[in-house]
Amino acid sequence: MQLPEAQVAVLRAADAQENRPITDIAGETAFKPETMTGAAFALEEEGLVTVTEAVTETLEQTDEGRAYIENGLPEVRLYEAARAVGAETGGDGAAMGAVIDAAGLDGEAVDIALANFARKGYGEIDSGEVHPDPDADPEDDPEAAALAALAAGEEPAESPVERLVDRGLVTRHEGTRRLVGLTQAGVTELMAGVEATEQVDRLTPELLTSGEWRDVEFAEYNVAAEADDVQAGRKHPLRRMADRVKNVFVGMGFEEMQGPTADADFWIHDCLFMPQDHPARTHWDRFALEQPEAIDDIPPALVERVRTAHREGVGPDGEGYRSPWDEGFARKLALRGHTTSLTARHLAGEALGDLEPPQRWFSVEKAYRNDELDATHLLEFYQIEGWVMAEELSVRDLMGTFTEFYRQFGITDLEFKPTYNPYTEPSFELFGRHPETDELIEIGNSGLFRPEMLEPLGVDCDVMAWGLALERLHMLATGAEDIRDVHGTLVDLEYLRTEEVTY
Amino acid sequence: MPVVEVDPDELRELTGRRVDDDDLLADLFGLGIEFEGETDDGEFKLEFEPDRLDWLSVEGLARALQYHYGEARGIHVPSTNDPEWTIEVQNTPPERPYVTGAVVRGLDLDAGTLDSLIQLQEKLHATMGRSRSKGAIGVHDLTMLKGAPAPAAGTGDSDTPGRGDGTARGGRGKSVTYTSMDPDDERFVPLEGNEEMSPREVTERHHIGREYADLVAEMERYPAIYDDIGLFSFPPVVNGRRTEVSESSRDLLVEMTGTDQWTVDRMLNIVCYALSARGGRVERVTVQYTDDAPGEHAGRRFDRPDLETKGKRITHDRIESVLGREFDRETVLDCLERSGLEGTHETGDDGTDSYEVEVPPYRVDVLHPIDVVDDIGRAYGFNDLQPRYPDVSTVGGRHERSRLEDAVRETLVGLGFEDLLNFYMTSNREVFERMNLDPTDDAVGAGRPVRIKEPFSAEYTILRPWALPSVLQVLENNTHRSYPQHLSEVGLVAVCDESENTGVAEYRTVTGALAEPGVSYEDARARLQALVRAFDSTLETPPTDHPSFIDGRTASVVVDGESVGVVGELHPAVLVGHDLELPVVAFELRLDALQ
Repeated sequence: MQLPEAQVAVLRAADAQENRPITDIAGETAFKPETMTGAAFALEEEGLVTVTEAVTETLEQTDEGRAYIENGLPEVRLYEAARAVGAETGGDGAAMGAVIDAAGLDGEAVDIALANFARKGYGEIDSGEVHPDPDADPEDDPEAAALAALAAGEEPAESPVERLVDRGLVTRHEGTRRLVGLTQAGVTELMAGVEATEQVDRLTPELLTSGEWRDVEFAEYNVAAEADDVQAGRKHPLRRMADRVKNVFVGMGFEEMQGPTADADFWIHDCLFMPQDHPARTHWDRFALEQPEAIDDIPPALVERVRTAHREGVGPDGEGYRSPWDEGFARKLALRGHTTSLTARHLAGEALGDLEPPQRWFSVEKAYRNDELDATHLLEFYQIEGWVMAEELSVRDLMGTFTEFYRQFGITDLEFKPTYNPYTEPSFELFGRHPETDELIEIGNSGLFRPEMLEPLGVDCDVMAWGLALERLHMLATGAEDIRDVHGTLVDLEYLRTEEVTY
Repeated sequence: MPVVEVDPDELRELTGRRVDDDDLLADLFGLGIEFEGETDDGEFKLEFEPDRLDWLSVEGLARALQYHYGEARGIHVPSTNDPEWTIEVQNTPPERPYVTGAVVRGLDLDAGTLDSLIQLQEKLHATMGRSRSKGAIGVHDLTMLKGAPAPAAGTGDSDTPGRGDGTARGGRGKSVTYTSMDPDDERFVPLEGNEEMSPREVTERHHIGREYADLVAEMERYPAIYDDIGLFSFPPVVNGRRTEVSESSRDLLVEMTGTDQWTVDRMLNIVCYALSARGGRVERVTVQYTDDAPGEHAGRRFDRPDLETKGKRITHDRIESVLGREFDRETVLDCLERSGLEGTHETGDDGTDSYEVEVPPYRVDVLHPIDVVDDIGRAYGFNDLQPRYPDVSTVGGRHERSRLEDAVRETLVGLGFEDLLNFYMTSNREVFERMNLDPTDDAVGAGRPVRIKEPFSAEYTILRPWALPSVLQVLENNTHRSYPQHLSEVGLVAVCDESENTGVAEYRTVTGALAEPGVSYEDARARLQALVRAFDSTLETPPTDHPSFIDGRTASVVVDGESVGVVGELHPAVLVGHDLELPVVAFELRLDALQ
């Protein structure tokens, strides 16, 4: 009969008269015990062997136990030291301090020694003096003997073992031992002759083309084991989130904007009706550029209209800012502090020519702020920006649009808190429920662009916009806590490699 | 955003309503004010939007809540008494020519009121006053002032503002003078000081003086206000101790100096409203600019505070259009009244419904009728409006470079690269010195980088002209992570370019780096090849020199005949400089080469 090699080994090693432990059998072969066990069960199915199970118990010394075997039990050492010190000083008592020193005990060992010293009747301890019992014999200590037996690989006596387990010197392991025995059928087969089929490791093209694959047995693999990590390509988690956001926008009918990172303050702030002495335009908040310093061309008619809007407002009841307006200051270049500069360029017709309503545009691009680098702030971050232009838009349309947008990310139940932006009126901060903690958190800013912004840009219908930081959305959705893990050159590759893929 | 500390008990008292802390905070949130926690004394820390500066005091907040609860309605303007005092303006520093002022009498100042007044001053300084540079407030105990005989009526215009009948009187009454002084010639005892000092000494040695010294540093002569006794105020730096306001003060002179008349007048209005809410009687002050005074108002004379209301006209249609629902007239008028405004309905000749809305003088944020619509919306309750999806149809899409980036990134990931998202801001040290590269070399990565003015951190001073240094930094920070590390980035680089309108050429590059024991040039070339061919382009790699790479193992990346990048084995000096103990091969090329 032909059988897999492992099964042949088990059959040959098994005995009809005596059940043998599989571990013993495995030891006699080159096979692992698990393989032998599997083989034995397979043979049992065929009725060629019996497999019985027994619960075994093994005892093992702990590190502490091993130490005591080498150095002696602490209470024994205490006893012997007490005898020695007592003999020197005369009388049958010795000062505890001296005894402990002589025994070479310290720390916990002292307490252990004292506790067991009394229990085992090695003597008495009274008023700081140790009185060893001259009739006690440490050689007879059953616990020491049991420990020694274990160390020698022999069977220790029963009762001291319990004590040793309690003292933490020995641990008990339970295991299952399987025993194999030959059945009558097994004996018969053996006598008729049993052969091992050829085992192969790899399936090769030769085996396939020659047809030999029919005659061979495939070695069993440990299929349950974990494999080595394989190096893989992966998209950056924040990039993945950015692409998700872009897809949501496209799905809602938005087209993508693009435009310069280094731009004139005119496009970044002045077109947005932000006064030139606004605190956000000081050195402290933005990255003004030294090289190059100013933009070359801005359409002069537009400059005039923006200047007039700043000084006088728009409309019959309009009012402007009481701040000087200087074209030179507006021409100065900076790294854009928000991507609304792209919106301004598009609305003014600078990017793609005049745009007629309806329009929906978005961008997910970097903005730069002079913040301090810490767990929630970077110097550069991705801003999500979306705007809609139509003949007539209300705050309800604004709310409806981003309600839909956030729904795509599992954020619902939005609340709107009226707020202030220099370039929108009305304006709202958006609050939503955290997808996991259910906390109410700020998730964006929005509003209808002011007439003082739109009129100079040549827009005579309504435009609404909203935005938030991509990193914020990402950290809310994934629970990341430190923004430096999520964006930038300070990343830990481990984070990028293990972050869950979101969709 | 300014954070103001407010005693909730005082707020409740001034509002005149018993409401518990939680409800109070919820009501404030509804107004747009966020709670930032409590101080040690149990005061609320409240964060404000910078548009409602009239809410920067507990008095202003109380008024807002009274309107919110419906206990106050419509416009309220305190009456003002006829002026007794004049501020004569002559020979002021040209850098700070404007002044305004008011007298407030009959105040009962306890510690809480005084604190609130001081805090209001501070917050106004920080916001509208642009850190005192645009406007600064000085409050003085009137009884400590001795007015000089007031000057005769000027020859210029005479403004007579105010809701009451106030005619500016001249010829009798008392005056103080806003003028300028020599920084070294004058002496006075400043607030919180013990000895007489010259103004310059105050800016050099006095603790408050030093803080605001910058505001006057460039001036030849410093701003000064005198009464008949002598100097009593050194705006915007510090008042004199003589006129210090204490809890026993009952009558105050409030003056404001600055670079813009409108700004200081509005700041004054806000302070007057706050003091009026505390029971003070506002008395106008005449401001008289001499004929040769610096600034726009030379020769003019007018009374302040100017508590005139202003009017904004808004159509009913526009209100409905912005808020997105129908309103009836009563609701609109009611919302206006509950916002502290007052509306009068009018029907135009063509049948249009509109409202003439009167706006009180502390509303510095109402610039355009749209601001009135916002008020109506807030009074109505924005959260009561139903969101709706706009009924306009548009087709979405991504622009070409965005789609190309995506496709390239996908290809790189398919080749086993881990995609990075690095900072675009960096330093000369990272992109040049640590790469063995000089900005003037004829090599990929060299060039004039875009430079930030007065950066705060030495690590972030320029925009990167190439991306490979960023990728190497990531390798450097991850030597404790398992290899191989095949990293890539598709990202922005920028260089100065005079042919661009902004003076900056911005474009994307594709960078790939392989850090692995046993890696060599061929491994980089193989992946570069696969990438370029995936976009149906031809690749050539003629040898070149590049100081960041090993000689003889470096090539130009030439795609469809154009030289667009570099590929090679990184130079050991560069690797060692980045703490890398294994070979790294890399390529970087322009993204648009694959278009």
